[in-house]
Amino acid sequence: MNYSFDFQSISFAPLWEGLMVTLELTAAANIIGIVGGFLLALLIMSPIAVIRLPAMLFVEFFRCTPAIVQIVWFFYCVPMLFNVFLGSMTMGILALGFNLMAFNAEAYRASIQAVFREQIDAGIALGLNPFQRILYIVLPTAFRASIPVLLTNGIGIFQQSALVAIVAVQDLMYQGKTLATETYRPIETFTVVALIYFAVSFPVTQIVGYLERRRQLLMS
Amino acid sequence: MALDFSIILRFQDALLLGLWMTLKLTLICVILGCTLGFLVGLARTSRSVMLRTISGVYVDFFRGTPVLIQLFWIFFCLPLILGIELSNLASGVIALTLYMGAITSETFRASLKSVGPEQLDACIALGLPRRIQVTNVILPQAVLRAIPTLLSNCVSLFKESALVSAVGMADLMFVGQNISNNTAQPVEVLTIVALIYFIIAFPLTRAVSLIERRILAKLAI
Repeated sequence: MNYSFDFQSISFAPLWEGLMVTLELTAAANIIGIVGGFLLALLIMSPIAVIRLPAMLFVEFFRCTPAIVQIVWFFYCVPMLFNVFLGSMTMGILALGFNLMAFNAEAYRASIQAVFREQIDAGIALGLNPFQRILYIVLPTAFRASIPVLLTNGIGIFQQSALVAIVAVQDLMYQGKTLATETYRPIETFTVVALIYFAVSFPVTQIVGYLERRRQLLMS
Repeated sequence: MALDFSIILRFQDALLLGLWMTLKLTLICVILGCTLGFLVGLARTSRSVMLRTISGVYVDFFRGTPVLIQLFWIFFCLPLILGIELSNLASGVIALTLYMGAITSETFRASLKSVGPEQLDACIALGLPRRIQVTNVILPQAVLRAIPTLLSNCVSLFKESALVSAVGMADLMFVGQNISNNTAQPVEVLTIVALIYFIIAFPLTRAVSLIERRILAKLAI
């Protein structure tokens, strides 16, 4: 191969700006996902079918369609169907947040089911009402048990957030694409962009691995 | 606003062609990716430090970066580096196979690890040679245990395959977006595209939990 690499021509300022947008998207989507996911998990486990079925449909729909389809659908169809016109950043956050909500709901459901029956019985014996039982017994236990999966899903959304570049949100991926066309240096640009994504997500996956190993040790 | 879903009927041939492309791509990459994943899974548990390091870096890198950037990298950079022209399909297959290989290697590794040490002890007690230990004792159990996770990896791949539309491959998503841009009826077209993906992926995810619950419980492994 006779390609001479030139990493000098890559300016980092736009990439840095892009990374900030990406991190902002990730953080906001995670807030929606972590809070909304728990509420959604409670709805899925509700004994009332009218509440349970729509919630299940929501979860399955987001889990069984490609994220890119969801994002494009959101950007094109929500303004037309509901007559709401939000900024592209808000739309991106909502699309990614709903996606994460569905995945987190499944994680919460598994750990809510794992909360020991005795603990809830103890709550009843102490005279806590259903709301208090959820708030003081189910939520803390289930949340702690779900942390590794929540982190994995959260970093998954960090990676999926690259998709909003397709609908022209100026995130890291979008800045990378622009820079690659401006400088005619796709190899260098895309390599640097990939390394930036990697540098953020790799430490988090290491933390997840550590947490899981520690939990296994505690359980055994 | 008035929705008119009959528009889909006019474009059903194009959508079916796109769907065929998506399925073809998924199928090829499932086969190649699972083979690659199995080999990488073995390499990660090998005794050679070099094999372990290389396969470890490969898996971490492909799991730690967005699939979209992997696709872009292979579409734009691989031809420059190799100095050869790659067809759209070839680039798509390479990118998604590498992604699938990385995620299935973790599945295989976990299932290889889950075969208990007492099984190996039994092999040694029976005096089985190393080759028989692997092919007749460890492998069957590991593969059987890997099946549910492998299936959900396949569903992930099927969903990620929609990304190739971003680099101009005529898959279901690409065809859908084209039609919606030309007809200016994104609500109908994109909803149908999403439904098609859902109709294929949903039964597969049901199958995963069915296999997990019934078959593996019955086999008691």
